[in-house]
Amino acid sequence: MRQTWKIARWEVMRNLTNKQFIIGLLITPLIMVVFGGIPILLEYLNRPSISTYYVIDHIGIVEEMQELLPENVLLEPIEDSESITDIVKSSKASGYFILDEQFFTTGEINLVYSDRNSNPLNAVQKALSSLLQQKRLSASGIDPEQLSFVTAQARVREIPIEEEFEPRALEMLVSMVFAFLIFFLTVTSASMLMQSAVQEKRDRMAEVVLSSIRAGKLMQGKVIGHFILGLIQLSFWLAIGLPLAFFFLDLPVMEIISAVNIPFILFFGLGSYLMFSSIFVGIGATMEDIQSAGNSQGLVVLLPMMSFLFLNPVLDNPDGNIAVFASIFPLTSPTIMMMRNGLTVIPLWQKLLSGGLLLITVFVTIRLASKIFRIGMLMYGKNASFKEIFKWLRYKES
Amino acid sequence: MRGLEVQKVHKTYGTKKVVDDISFHAPPGKILGILGPNGAGKTTIIRMIMNITAPDQGNIMFKDGRTEHKGIPLASIGYLPEERGLYKEAKIMNILLFLASLNDVPKHVAKERILRWLTKFELEKYANSKVEQLSKGMAQKVQFIGSVLHEPKFIILDEPFSGLDPVSQDMFKTEIRALANLGASILLSSHQMNIVEELCDDIFLIHQGREVVKGDLQTIKERYGNFRVNMLSEAPNEVILNTGLVAESEKLGHARYRYTLKDRVSPLEFTNSLPADLEIRELIVSRPSLHDIFVKIAQGGAEVASNMENS
Repeated sequence: MRQTWKIARWEVMRNLTNKQFIIGLLITPLIMVVFGGIPILLEYLNRPSISTYYVIDHIGIVEEMQELLPENVLLEPIEDSESITDIVKSSKASGYFILDEQFFTTGEINLVYSDRNSNPLNAVQKALSSLLQQKRLSASGIDPEQLSFVTAQARVREIPIEEEFEPRALEMLVSMVFAFLIFFLTVTSASMLMQSAVQEKRDRMAEVVLSSIRAGKLMQGKVIGHFILGLIQLSFWLAIGLPLAFFFLDLPVMEIISAVNIPFILFFGLGSYLMFSSIFVGIGATMEDIQSAGNSQGLVVLLPMMSFLFLNPVLDNPDGNIAVFASIFPLTSPTIMMMRNGLTVIPLWQKLLSGGLLLITVFVTIRLASKIFRIGMLMYGKNASFKEIFKWLRYKES
Repeated sequence: MRGLEVQKVHKTYGTKKVVDDISFHAPPGKILGILGPNGAGKTTIIRMIMNITAPDQGNIMFKDGRTEHKGIPLASIGYLPEERGLYKEAKIMNILLFLASLNDVPKHVAKERILRWLTKFELEKYANSKVEQLSKGMAQKVQFIGSVLHEPKFIILDEPFSGLDPVSQDMFKTEIRALANLGASILLSSHQMNIVEELCDDIFLIHQGREVVKGDLQTIKERYGNFRVNMLSEAPNEVILNTGLVAESEKLGHARYRYTLKDRVSPLEFTNSLPADLEIRELIVSRPSLHDIFVKIAQGGAEVASNMENS
């Protein structure tokens, strides 16, 4: 165990003093902010601009009409004059129209515009239609209240047959954020681990280190070292993110923290990390360098992405067969379990089955990975084929 | 026997026998040269000694003082592999401290030894430099230091001289000899025969996984040291062959031949047997160097070796 710690400490030190790691540490939250911020910014930019219309109102409905219009359409009453066209042209207004008695009989209005782009014809038409209907109804003697009663729309409310878990928005959000965070950390840490194995070979240090330490311990040390690095990243981001969330987004941080099911997240987070990191480090040991790695090895990197295939089905129906399968199948279970935990009440048998399968998978992947690692680390000059890797798996431990 | 004892070791990968019944002994204070063409099985033997792979058959024993171990304890091994490198982005001092810590050398002891070695190799001002800033030869020295920091009882040096300039080669030779004098067993694998001849006490020659020659250098030279005669003479070749003292003849150029004399035939005996009127324009007598033995064996394998022995 002492040997393992030495390797772990070295991995941590080596990365903490490495520019790339530090840049990644700082830039990742920035990227997240940028990617999180861009949709908000786009929405902001895409919001309809305000357009103003001059109204020559002979019938006194402009105020009523204004209330029926969306916020971005403003009406400005104006005295009738010969020079209305010039007034519109010289102002920022988008156009003008005249409301007079004739409107109630013909239902027609001429909207004279100067700026086609900002022409909110639909909104104006809707508001005027509504006014026209009211006017005509009251003229024909029908009570508007009765009318709204008659034309009321049916409303359907869903009520479950048994009392059901009602996901609160906060719990949903927290479980999604954690599922994503753990997923992200697992993938980045595992890829760093893979690179570290490849680098050890590329720097030709594997043999030297293995002359002082058993391959199994070296692998363990690397896995633990990168786990610690992952924790450092996570705490760094949380240390920055939580206060920011608290001050700027006004999120109830304390409530979020209490909504987190820590043992649950720890179990599946750790399981996820150990499973993928052992797969990645094993595969890393078979590669000469990451650029020249074959397609088949590249595919292994995509394994954690499998969870995304199930994202929509699980969100749509967190208790459906697909969701249950994805939360039991070990390669997707950590992420999906964490997601479902916020969306529904997971039956105990599913938790146990999923947890048990994950444990078995972790055990098996670590065993297999250390076999591959032991041989792969000492191989130079080429990438191992899958055939060779299977052959190594059959070698007996020496 | 103290030191390393390799006993009848076999290793097969698939159907290929890479190491076939190999035995040798590396005593403390001596330098054993392990030679062989590429792919002869040297690396596999080295890896078995280091317990990275296990032999299918046979034993590797290590006796240190009174205790005998099956296999060498990792802490007793210093290893400079042929495939060399260092963590590129790390500082020299940190790498060496890390390597020392893997072998449980206390930090203050390690630091002092590192500085002493760096000074020996005139690298002291690079202690806090990154590996990227070193030349290839400098990096090789750092690696050498890394492999001996824990003062191992058994040192494996795989091609330690490749890529070194003559001055650095001499430095390495001196230090390797000094380590042996301090009582370490040293296993040296190299293709540079002149250095092996100079440095090694014992030789072990391997080809296609099998032992070809083994023993101390002097004995080997005597055993394979049939004299060679390079002669420039217009006389017909038969005249020389008729002396009955020549085992082998080879035409090197116009009127130039190389003769390998039969076993235990001295140069004087050979020249005396030549016709008195033979016109010789040039005559060079020599013993085959280790290089010649190596090349012959590398080309012809074990049969050549046994032929050489019998001739």
